[in-house]
Amino acid sequence: MRSIDAIRRSGVGIGPERTITDAAVTMEQAGVGALAVIDGVRLVGIVTDRDLVRRCIARRMPNDARIDSVMSTPVITVQADADLHDAFGLFRSNAVRRLAVVRGEHFVGMITVDDMLVNLVGDIDDLVRPVTAEILFAHHDAHVPATT
Amino acid sequence: MNAKVGDRIVIEGHHLGEPRRECEVLEVHGTDGGPPYVVRWEADGNTAFFFPGTDASVVEYEHHMA
Repeated sequence: MRSIDAIRRSGVGIGPERTITDAAVTMEQAGVGALAVIDGVRLVGIVTDRDLVRRCIARRMPNDARIDSVMSTPVITVQADADLHDAFGLFRSNAVRRLAVVRGEHFVGMITVDDMLVNLVGDIDDLVRPVTAEILFAHHDAHVPATT
Repeated sequence: MNAKVGDRIVIEGHHLGEPRRECEVLEVHGTDGGPPYVVRWEADGNTAFFFPGTDASVVEYEHHMA
């Protein structure tokens, strides 16, 4: 499976000149917990609801401060056509809950640990189904004829 | 996904009780109506870039004759 096929939620982004308040309002309206920060067409950062709490509210930053002053950068990314195992590897080696999915430098979406779990559970379900059927509706081979 | 300026994008809720969200397409930055889009959210006109996933669908804008 390609990384882009594992994305379950739409991605949302804002420009780097936008304010902390704009970011919080956008998260609330879009129902997302992270925003891509996009300069023109280029992904330059990522900001999460956790960043807003820890880097903005806890440090008493003014609400009209630019979002690029608190975003995380550089962003850990996975290419859209890369195999999902590559995304697994990135989650394993970096302490993040979200990866930006990109085509070249262009942001196309966000993949989360939750998305990975849902896909993993689906794979396990596919694997277990025939085994369950075999247990519940066991198919017994015919007896081998006795020879004398 | 393909959309044009004026279309609405509907995003279904992901959890029980999570509301459906809607936004209006203001700009189409992809080729042939493809994403990304600049959208305006319902409530107060706040705008954002939007990259549709499988949770989003387009409701075409209908022109009405006066």
